[in-house]
Parts: sequence; C-alpha cells; structure tokens
Amino acid sequence: MDTKYGREDLTADVLVIGGGIAGLTAAVSIKEKNPDLDVLIVEKQTCGYSGKANKGGGVLQYFDLSRVNPVEFAAYHANVIGCFLGDQELMIKYVQMNNHMFDKLVEWGANVPKREDGSYDVMPTGPMTAMIGIDLDVTLKVRRTAEKLGVRIMDKTSVTDLLTSDGKIAGAVGFSILDGKLYTFRAKAVVLATGSQNYRIGPMWGSGRGDGIAAAYRAGAEMRNTEFGNFAQLVKVRSHEEVVFGENFMYNKAGEHVTKNFRTGPEPDISGSAIAEWYNQMAANMGPIVLKREMPEGGGPLNMLWKRPYGQRFWELNNEHAHAVDGDDMEVCPMLIGEQSPVKVDHDMQTTIPGLFAIGDASYCGSAAPGAVPAPPGRNRGSGILNAVFAGIMCSDAASKTGAGETLPPVCDKQIEDCVKRLYAPLERESGCKSKDIMRVIHKAVGPMERSVYMSGHRIETAMRYVEKAKSMLGELKADDFHELLNAHEAEAAVLSAEMQFRAAAMRKESRGWFIREDYPETDNKNWLKWIIVKNKDGEMALSTEDVPWEKWPIKPPID
Amino acid sequence: MIDTAHVIKFDPENCVGCKLCYKACFVDVIRWDEENKRPIFKYVEDCEHCFYCQAMCKKNCIEVIPDYSSEKLLQTFDRYL
Repeated sequence: MDTKYGREDLTADVLVIGGGIAGLTAAVSIKEKNPDLDVLIVEKQTCGYSGKANKGGGVLQYFDLSRVNPVEFAAYHANVIGCFLGDQELMIKYVQMNNHMFDKLVEWGANVPKREDGSYDVMPTGPMTAMIGIDLDVTLKVRRTAEKLGVRIMDKTSVTDLLTSDGKIAGAVGFSILDGKLYTFRAKAVVLATGSQNYRIGPMWGSGRGDGIAAAYRAGAEMRNTEFGNFAQLVKVRSHEEVVFGENFMYNKAGEHVTKNFRTGPEPDISGSAIAEWYNQMAANMGPIVLKREMPEGGGPLNMLWKRPYGQRFWELNNEHAHAVDGDDMEVCPMLIGEQSPVKVDHDMQTTIPGLFAIGDASYCGSAAPGAVPAPPGRNRGSGILNAVFAGIMCSDAASKTGAGETLPPVCDKQIEDCVKRLYAPLERESGCKSKDIMRVIHKAVGPMERSVYMSGHRIETAMRYVEKAKSMLGELKADDFHELLNAHEAEAAVLSAEMQFRAAAMRKESRGWFIREDYPETDNKNWLKWIIVKNKDGEMALSTEDVPWEKWPIKPPID
Repeated sequence: MIDTAHVIKFDPENCVGCKLCYKACFVDVIRWDEENKRPIFKYVEDCEHCFYCQAMCKKNCIEVIPDYSSEKLLQTFDRYL
C-alpha cells in the first residue's frame, strides 16, 4: 500500500533501532565480527546525540580484576540490590568483561581519563568497586567508528512497529518525523536499542519513552520484571536537580533526622525505604523534608573529578541554572524517574521472538541481571552506560550469525497494512484528545510515590483506574503534525508501560529490594522467588510467573 | 515534562548555520530551515533544558531559560501538585 506521505522500502542484514550507546556498540561489534554485513541504524532523532549516555554524569563502574572476584561482587549484589531475583550468571559475566569493555571504548575513540603513567584514572568507591569518568562525547566517537566501519545511519526516523514472519523477526515499520514518509524495513536480524520508559516526568537522562518496548510487546515478545519500572530520585523542589547521596540527611519540620538509621547493612545509595519514609513524614504532616548536610572535606561535584572538556560546558550550564534558582533552599521531594526496561532476553540478548534482540535500557530488567531493582543503573552506580556496552557486545555474536542468513524473511502485506493504519491513525482523526491530555492522566497514575514506589493494593487500584481512563482515550488520540504523531505513539507506549507496571505490581504480594508494598512488608522467599512475565496474547495482556532458577547459581537465598 | 514554559532566545545574526544545535536536540524541539541555514525553535514546549544546543553553539547564539516552576513534581501533597 502507498500513503499520501510517500513510501520507501529498505533492507538490511541487521537493523539496529536506536542510535544511543547500546545501538552503536551493537552495530560496531557486529561489523567487527562480520564486515560484510549490511548494518543499518535507524534513530528517531540524531544518532550519536540521542540516548542517555551523553546526558548524565558520564560515570563508568570499574573493577580491578586482579583483586576483585566476580562471584564476590555477585554475592554482594544478590544480597543487597538484586535480592535474589537477579541472574547471577549474567552479573558475573558483566563483571568479568569490565576491563575488556574499557579497552573497546578507548579503541572506538572514547575519552577515558588516564593518569600520567598511562593507567586509567580510577576513583575507588567501595571495597570492590571503583569509578572512572568518561567524557560525554562517547556516543559521537562511537558513531564515527561505526561510520568508518561502513554502518549506515538514518536519522529522524521513528520506528513504530516490528514485523514478524512465522514467529520470527522480519523487519519494522516507521516514519520520518520531518515529512511523515513511510519506511518499511526488511531485515534478517533486528536489534532493539530504544531505551527504557521514563514517562516524561524527569528531564534529560530520564528521556526514555518506551516506544521500542511497546513495539516488542505488540509483536508478541515476552516482558519480565515490568513491576520494576518505578525508580525515583530525591530532587530539590525548586530546580528538580537530583541530590546524590542526599537521603541519609533528611530532616522533618520538627528538626528530627528521619533517615538517621534507616540502612541496615552495606546498602548502596538511593533506597526505596527513604522514599517511603518521605511519604510517611509528609502524610503525618511532618513535612516539608529538608536536607541538612555538610560536604566532606575535599568533596565536590562528581563530574568535576576528571578532565572532560566536552561534558564540562554541559554540566556548568546545568549547575549554574539550578543553583541560581535553588539558592539556600534545601527542601527535597522524590520524583519518579521510571526506568522500566522489561524486554525479556537470554544471554545472547535475544528476545522470545527469534532474530529480535533487545539491548541496553530496553532490556536491562528483562535480562534479569539487576534483579529486584529498576535499572539502569539500578542502585549500582556506573552500570548504566556499561550495561549498554555489555549488552551490545553480548548480542553481536548471535545477531551477526542471524544477519548472515541466506535470505531475507518474507513480509506479509496485510501485516504492513495494519501497522501503517495504526501508525497514521492519529493524523487521520478529525478531532480528539492530544497526547499531552493522555500523559496528564498517566502522570496521576505513576507520579505519586504512594502509587508507584510505596505501594498498597488499594493504591495500585487507584493507579489502575487512571491507567484505564488513559487507555479509553487512546482511540481518540489526535495529532496535527508529525511531531505530534511522534508524541502520540510515545503516549500510547506510556499507557502500555503503566498498565504492565501496575498489573505486575498488584500480582507481587511481597516486598523485595526496591519493590515495597505497605500491605506486604516482608520478603517472601517461599512463594516469590519468581519473575512475573507479561505477554500480549491476541490483544489481551496475560500475566504469568516463572521460577527463578537460583539452585544453579552460586549464591543461595535464605529460605526458612 | 509536559505543559512547561521554558524559553529559548536565539540570535540569528551571529549564527553561522553549523546545524549542531539541531543535531544535538534529542526531543525534536529544533527543526532546520534549509533555505536560510538557521534553526527553527518550533516545539519549545517539549524542551527538557539539557542545554546541549546552547553548549554546542560556538557563536553563543542560543540561550535556554528554563522555567523550573512549570515542571510538575506530581506528588499528592498540595505543595507538590
């Protein structure tokens, strides 16, 4: 079928959707394995500038593997972060590959600060962990490497649906956000690198819109850990700038230090318990909550520790504006970040649809590596960018082999027609609601801490009522131009993510790690060492559970 | 980040048409006027004040003025609605 906006049919051996650090790593790694493959990256904005890697602190976790045993780190992670929902084998592989990933990033042109003696400028952060700052032009550097290797790149094109054939991946459908032109893609392998779901609440690094997750769901890919899409961060109430390490210093209006002793062990920073305490204090009319702390001697912003000229200007502008509006006001409030990353993948990063791979923020929780915590980085600082690099490398073997297959899978005209109809539907409606009308409703569901983070059955039901309302509006979603069409598809993805989040949250009747229910405060290792799986079955959302195979991993959970 | 009231100031006289601001914008706020080789700040209501456009501009033609008060914290207590 043709459209009034034009149509172009393209092919590739491997189609990579998303041009952030995960997609770029996959494209480069696949080309390194097989230079003959035709690899195409499709990015809805501009490849190399998109994604999160260039919008945060640029911090990478470093392990001194001459001294750190990967199993010991997996044990620490399983006990205090992943809470035995994590795939320990994958976590161990991630640690083992750490130094290799640094070497690859440097080879691909990234600026990783070094000392005069040539060693990496590592800052120790704990008994096992350390960090290195990386300059924020990392994605641009890897884009240049990709181009040198012959990777084709297509910007300003948004993929809205995936195509399948006989249960395997066959390609994708998308449109130009500039002129609306329809693009169909046929490919032997497809790598989804489209980021997580952040619900359009926080700025900048919370930029994932979940549209790739939604496309995978519609195509029939299984999702895992969707209830862990509820990450939150303390922010200053004026600038909304995040306050790193702030939760230990929360004071109520009576001047009481309300989070003085709330950690029970060697927990990393950012804890759901502090968010719950903030809510309890506010509900008891003991707010507002302010931070009172003194910077440790010699302390300062993390991003100033290394020489990183590209990121410097970006950080300075952000800090200047935030500090100008904050002044001395230390009032804080949590803000939902989200980070649902649920596309279920195996250790090759292959989804349950053969030939479809999902990497980086699209599948971090779906890979099960981080366990009971929304990720990236999932209370494991410095693991966000590195997980994207890890997953990009991990998928490259199987994706390049699939991409080297003899023929392109056939595509069904009827399937394309349905996708195209769905794609342009918001433009065709004469009247209706706008994407922002839907997002306002979704924000009521996911935004409040007592619905997303410090949950109860009753409060989850309240959230679901908003989700149902937003769902009922989707049939009226109207867009007036291609920018609004993009927003419309992103809003639809947000509604789907919220439904997956709350339906799974209602099912998990316990508290574990970041997942906190006021009505089920205990961790239930007898009944809930399970993953919740969400799947689209003939248009209906179906939930089931899968036992965590902890018996085969080295660190065992405490079971009464 | 919806219903925000951020402002972007632009000086077209000093702009050299390098297109970096357009490329740097990851939320489609900036479109490109091919004829005049200048950015169009078309969807400012979607700006997330990352400041990348401003940071990339070698000629200091762009100033992003965030209105933080227009961003919602979305908590159910009156002061954060």
